[in-house]
Amino acid sequence: MAASFTPRKLDCKDLHSYLKTLPGPVLDRLYNHPATCLAVFRELPDLARQYVMRNLFIEQPVSQAVIGQWVVNKFTNEHKYACKALSELRVWYEQPIPGGQPGWILNQTFRNNTKVALLGGGSPWIGGRSTTVDKYAKDIPFLDKYGQDRWECVLHFMVGSSEGSEGVSRDIIEVLNNSGLMKVDATDSNPLITPAGFQFLLMDTQSQVWYFMLQYLETVEHRGMDLVECLSFLFQLSFSTLGQDYSTDGMSESQLKFLQHLREFGLVYQRKRKSQRYYPTCLAINLASGLSGVSSDQEKVGFIIVETNYRIYAYTDSPLKIALLAIFCDMLYRFPTMTVCNLSRTSVREALIRGITAEQILNFLRSHAHPKMLATAPVLPPTITDQVRLWELERDRLKFDDGVLYSQFNSQSDYELLSDYAKDLGVLVFENASKRVMVVTRSGHDDVKKFWKRQKNS
Amino acid sequence: MSDKNSSSLLVIILDTNPIWWGQTNSKSGANTCLSTCLNSVMVFANSHLMFSHSNKLAVIAAHTNKSCFLYPLPKEPVPIDPAVDTENEAEENSVKVPQIGQNDGKYELFAQFNETIKSEIQNLIFNDKLEGELYSDSLIAGAMSMALCYIHRMEKEASVGEDVSSRILVIKGSEDNAAQYMNFMNAVFTAQKQNVVIDACILDNDSGLLQQACDITGGMYLKVPQMSGLLQYLLWVFLPDPVMRCKLTLPPKAQVDYRAACFCHRNLIDIGYVCSVCLSIYCSFSPICSTCQTTFKFMGPPKILKKKSKRLAS
Amino acid sequence: MEDEKGYRWETEYEKTWEAIHEDESGSLQASIDDIIQKAKRRKMLEKIGNIRLGMMRHLYLIVDMSDVMNDQDLKPTRLYSTVKLLEHFIEEYFDQNPISQLGILITRNKRAEKITELGGNPRRHINALQSLKDRKCQGEPSLQNSLDLALQTLKHMPSHASREVLIIFGSLTTCDPGDIDSIIQTLSENNIRCSIIGLAAEVCVCKKICKQTQGKYNVILDESHYKDLLYQHLSPPPATSNTSSSLIRMGFPHHTLNLVNKEERPSMCMCHLDSKNCEGFNTTGYFCPQCKSKYCELPVECKACGLTLVSAPHLARSYHHLFPLDGFIEITLATLHDSDNLHCFSCLLHLKDINVYKCPVCIKIFCLDCDLFIHETLHSCPGCSSNRGNQHEKMDIT
Repeated sequence: MAASFTPRKLDCKDLHSYLKTLPGPVLDRLYNHPATCLAVFRELPDLARQYVMRNLFIEQPVSQAVIGQWVVNKFTNEHKYACKALSELRVWYEQPIPGGQPGWILNQTFRNNTKVALLGGGSPWIGGRSTTVDKYAKDIPFLDKYGQDRWECVLHFMVGSSEGSEGVSRDIIEVLNNSGLMKVDATDSNPLITPAGFQFLLMDTQSQVWYFMLQYLETVEHRGMDLVECLSFLFQLSFSTLGQDYSTDGMSESQLKFLQHLREFGLVYQRKRKSQRYYPTCLAINLASGLSGVSSDQEKVGFIIVETNYRIYAYTDSPLKIALLAIFCDMLYRFPTMTVCNLSRTSVREALIRGITAEQILNFLRSHAHPKMLATAPVLPPTITDQVRLWELERDRLKFDDGVLYSQFNSQSDYELLSDYAKDLGVLVFENASKRVMVVTRSGHDDVKKFWKRQKNS
Repeated sequence: MSDKNSSSLLVIILDTNPIWWGQTNSKSGANTCLSTCLNSVMVFANSHLMFSHSNKLAVIAAHTNKSCFLYPLPKEPVPIDPAVDTENEAEENSVKVPQIGQNDGKYELFAQFNETIKSEIQNLIFNDKLEGELYSDSLIAGAMSMALCYIHRMEKEASVGEDVSSRILVIKGSEDNAAQYMNFMNAVFTAQKQNVVIDACILDNDSGLLQQACDITGGMYLKVPQMSGLLQYLLWVFLPDPVMRCKLTLPPKAQVDYRAACFCHRNLIDIGYVCSVCLSIYCSFSPICSTCQTTFKFMGPPKILKKKSKRLAS
Repeated sequence: MEDEKGYRWETEYEKTWEAIHEDESGSLQASIDDIIQKAKRRKMLEKIGNIRLGMMRHLYLIVDMSDVMNDQDLKPTRLYSTVKLLEHFIEEYFDQNPISQLGILITRNKRAEKITELGGNPRRHINALQSLKDRKCQGEPSLQNSLDLALQTLKHMPSHASREVLIIFGSLTTCDPGDIDSIIQTLSENNIRCSIIGLAAEVCVCKKICKQTQGKYNVILDESHYKDLLYQHLSPPPATSNTSSSLIRMGFPHHTLNLVNKEERPSMCMCHLDSKNCEGFNTTGYFCPQCKSKYCELPVECKACGLTLVSAPHLARSYHHLFPLDGFIEITLATLHDSDNLHCFSCLLHLKDINVYKCPVCIKIFCLDCDLFIHETLHSCPGCSSNRGNQHEKMDIT
């Protein structure tokens, strides 16, 4: 896990940290839709969810001391964490109870709309189920395949393989460029994948979609669409039923535009651009589950077997998956349904140089592991995980410290005086007595300089 | 590595005994009728589903002469994940009349679930020809056995690496059924073995059997003091899953009476006699076991006096 | 009938591989699963109800600790593998036979040694068992000495109890001081049933002991077979004809707070008297209804007055042995009405297999998984217990 602190890592925010960045009024407006309330509710820590449920039907502020007592003393830290999460997302806020003691009260909009989702009432969700039969009704396998194919097009485009990348629209390219996953080179008209892009490729599909959507949402307002409307529609989509068709009736202009974009990304299926109905695909629905870091049952079966001798067998024909493996493996053999490759120090180092972390490589292997591998614990052989991490640590052998070089001392005694002083302060980085040079940290430089001046003057 | 998939399966066993509900309703007015109770239970069930994407739910009715599933229904071939199935629904509803979930802002899945429960309860009650003898107790043991089979199946079907924690919540008003003692205890021991927690929410008479069941499986036993607050009790006490419960302050566990009732008079006894052949319990010494017809020829030292008297009699 | 068959290697060659067929994808798994499940069902059906069982069991486990137990044919060694299986066995034994007792003996260096006395506390036995791992396996075992040691204790057990010895025997030889036939004679006179699980090969003397004392003799094939054989000894054996029956006096203590003048008074319980820490020192416990000694766990035999203390659920745990559930009838799905649309009664699974299972009493249909689960674990039919017509009213004495 230490790898996560390296600055180069692609930062994929979860819903919680994303919502935290939104201003309060926007949040309040978001809570106007039951679907958002549901999504936010599921993102809360366990304890916080209990608090919300307990407070849902209490229409007045509840004393903070009382809520503190709901938890066994041993778990006070979790209690604080839950309270913080609730306050940050403005699910509840502070309000004194009668008598002046501090209390919490649930955000009224949030309370009302959660109740609507739970109990009914209120107005129906926009773009509800269609009321007529679709002549061209689509079943779940079709939608699964459609969604996956669309998404793979995007990934193909990123790795630069020719297959199917013609389906990638200008909007997608724009999002990819804006997010820094790809960049346009001056010499070449086609955008090229960046280190961040490689990391993106190794994430599982849900995280990819979520990251992509986040990047997209940043640009939403430039496109003249309303962020709140888009977000709440996105959440609603993630709570819809796979295989069910929904109608576009009652959707606003900006939502219709948003729907078209989602269609391009493969999150919804629409037979024709003008069609009055749409089907959400598994990409959209998994979005809700992907948020909470749980991979859903829909996840395709894994295909990778890793052996302790660093050999990887991948049961796939997909050029995309093979291309992904090739990022950090040496390819050995290619068979009609299987590819054999090797993890080696050079191949992994190459990937590391591209900015991919060891943890990402392992995560990729783990999340695509063959069911046979999943049955074992741990999923990946420990020799492999350890070695890949060691290879990563190898690259971190050099530590850079800013410093100031002191040289050309007139006498050995001057040198010793100064180096002893620096040593006492603990700011000495390097010294070489025979050459009379020493390096002092940047922060310690001022002190040492002053000391030297005082010494010279005296 | 740490985010192991975990899902929580809750099986609610609802006592739908018409005799008990009828009596209670006439006794205490409209405050406690099946439909208000049902509303609370549905909101509670919705809350459970709302808690997490992967939470699963089943509802079983324990009726006076049968037990049956209210949700999910066997019509659906794969009622596994409530969030994704119901493709069949679409086929069945192909003549699209105004649908559920359309009318208000309730989450589609919840609306469907509530609609199913309501119509199933209606079916159950309307198709119930109250013939022959009427019983004021419900067949809880049967419902529990069904729940355990269902849980067994769900845990087996769970994908690799998924970790299903299951519990059963019994919501019961009617009396205990003494004739089901053996089936009931078998279900309780099975639950203990399968790590299934049994919770009990008692609406009326304290149930000795359920107290034991909760104590053995580590569940919560609560007698609802006020029917009007049923939903709040459900949400406060029974919504947290067992992992969560150790973090929350909840009502303390009550003392459970583990004394046995003798088979001859149904008295609770402190010291009794147990047949070595069939383990029947008697409150006083008798020469023949009435359950297995064994005659007892040997008696331990403390019973010498009785032995003598028996010989005299014969 | 065992005798007629003779030794395994003398019987006709079984073509085991012919029973296995590949499915469409060329996998054998389905076929093997099928065989395993069929075998399970067969074993289940073999259990016959309505015979008198020895419910109060007194069992001595005799573990061979001779140097052959260091063999590595079971991984990591025979002894480790045995200890691991026995730990589980002991837990299950007390789970299924809550009012029974168990003791552990070992035999090595031509001697027998008692590890634990007969007792009802699984934890004590398991701890003792684990300490065996640190002991050395050496010398030869002695069947006669160990059986003699078991006999000394078992013959004093009450006559209504079932007296049993189970030997885990790794060696092919035994070193005995005298005539082993005499001890076999005494064993069978004292109604002590002696069963042996051989870890190596069939040995004539073992076969003889088991035959004459009406025990079972089996030799393991591999580790999972070992487990199966061991677990067969979990359910109580049929009682021998000369086991007498009696009414046993038992106490059913109430779990109470120690209240003296409505004040909580902590006290020491009898089970932790010799422990150094203050583990057993608290305010709650079970009090013997006869002499008021306190215990923190049931079932237990009161150390002060000798009364057996149990709770009602403990007795209930054994009822399923006494009233076993009738086997379900296997029928082919196709013969049923509306066969495409059938669901298992208890788990709602859409029935697709060729065979389904029907309860003869309530005529409900079940899938294979539920059938196994119901008979192996649940022991009561969900169909019957959710139907008032055919309740098991056996226990209801009016």
